[in-house]
Amino acid sequence: MGEVSRLLAEYGPAFGQALLLTWKLTVLSFVPGFLLGVVVTVLRLLPLPPLRFVLTIYVEIFRNIPAVALLIFIVFALPDLNVLIDYEPSVILTLVLVCSAFTADYLRSGINTIPGSQAEAALSLGMRPMHIISVVVLPQALRSVVQPMTSLLIAVMLSTSLASQVPFPGRELTALVSKIATDSAAGIPAFAVAAGMYVATGLLIAWAGAALEKKARILR
Amino acid sequence: MSRPLDDILFSAPSLQAQKVIRAVSVMATVVLLLLAAGTLYRFHAAGQLEARFWEFFTWRTTWIFLAEGLLGTLASAAMAAVIALTLGVVLLMGRLARSRLVRWPSIALIEFLRGTPTLLLIYVCFLVLPSVGIKLSTYWMLTLPIGLATAAVVAEVYRAGVLAVPRGQADAARSLGLTEAKVFFLIVFPQALRYIIPALVAQLVIVVKDTTFGYVVTYGELMQNAKVLIANYHSLVPVYLVVAILYCLVNYAISKASKRLRGPMH
Repeated sequence: MGEVSRLLAEYGPAFGQALLLTWKLTVLSFVPGFLLGVVVTVLRLLPLPPLRFVLTIYVEIFRNIPAVALLIFIVFALPDLNVLIDYEPSVILTLVLVCSAFTADYLRSGINTIPGSQAEAALSLGMRPMHIISVVVLPQALRSVVQPMTSLLIAVMLSTSLASQVPFPGRELTALVSKIATDSAAGIPAFAVAAGMYVATGLLIAWAGAALEKKARILR
Repeated sequence: MSRPLDDILFSAPSLQAQKVIRAVSVMATVVLLLLAAGTLYRFHAAGQLEARFWEFFTWRTTWIFLAEGLLGTLASAAMAAVIALTLGVVLLMGRLARSRLVRWPSIALIEFLRGTPTLLLIYVCFLVLPSVGIKLSTYWMLTLPIGLATAAVVAEVYRAGVLAVPRGQADAARSLGLTEAKVFFLIVFPQALRYIIPALVAQLVIVVKDTTFGYVVTYGELMQNAKVLIANYHSLVPVYLVVAILYCLVNYAISKASKRLRGPMH
């Protein structure tokens, strides 16, 4: 414990900033990723075969590519194609793409749980397909994916550790631990503090997700 | 099985709607083709289509080297999976134990291992452990943290499976006079496994993805070998592109397998 307090005396503010940066990256990646995932899901419902085909490839690529490989491609290979993206936006872009693909996949499974008879009923009421998607299909699909989306948010939060792989101006938790471990002998307490912060954030998200799930659940 | 919802939604378009759908489809195709052409032009304009960036892909040695990397990836992933599957059972036993003295530390360990980024665990094995005198080979620096982190996730997957087995199964086995250990390992656990095999296979995708961090500890997996190729041929874009495609293919195959396994259950 003595080691931890000594470490916090020296690096306390740095840990605070690192935690905040981790949270910031998480939110900036998850929110646009989620929205993009919803857009992709809706576009894949439309009866446009070429669009469906390309978006299915999009989802499969970003679901299956390791996030690090994608980040490295964006940061180190894209400049060779004269596409220069700064480090922080690169990390966020990586996570947004991956997050959107998983969101689209989960939402699709959510949509698959909705009985087709609901669409038939809505059509027979004279509703237009796009209207049905927005007021019948999406609300139910969103309510059924609270649990996987909570896991995805935690996964995105943990994946912000990727930022330590690029020369980032700010340091999130993993980059800070790797710096402290290289500079001093305080590696183990630094790791313990960072791990505690990650676990606490994850438990907080899981708790909020469970509360939301309880409210949103549809009993069939 | 009823038709998918999107088929029903757009099942009987009017003549006019059919025209719109056809027109928009053609437009979408044109836009997508233009996008593809634009990307290709970008490659050309940046000189990335020049033969010197691609010709080494026609050499056998390049592919042998990449295959060695893929083998390294699979060797690490397979060992991590074995660690995860076995240690997962141990963690599960602790998690389900009646005694709080066993259960609570198990819960803490599970939450700790699955709540910490695998990359951070790798850094501990890579940077911290050597400073306290524990030296691992690069293979274990990569495989051990992935195995430990996955074990915690697998333990929770196992638990979901065990909870899904009807209680009557265990009760019936007990009434036949089986010991608790036999009830668990002969009756409950094998049935639980059947429920969760798809989830376990899907977890394998995450393990393969995590081995990408091998380049952090310079273990010779696909990503690390890609970096070596790049250093030799100064060909960033093509090599990273090929490697990304290889990763996608491997993981896609595993995902497909896991979705297929889901089939006969219901």
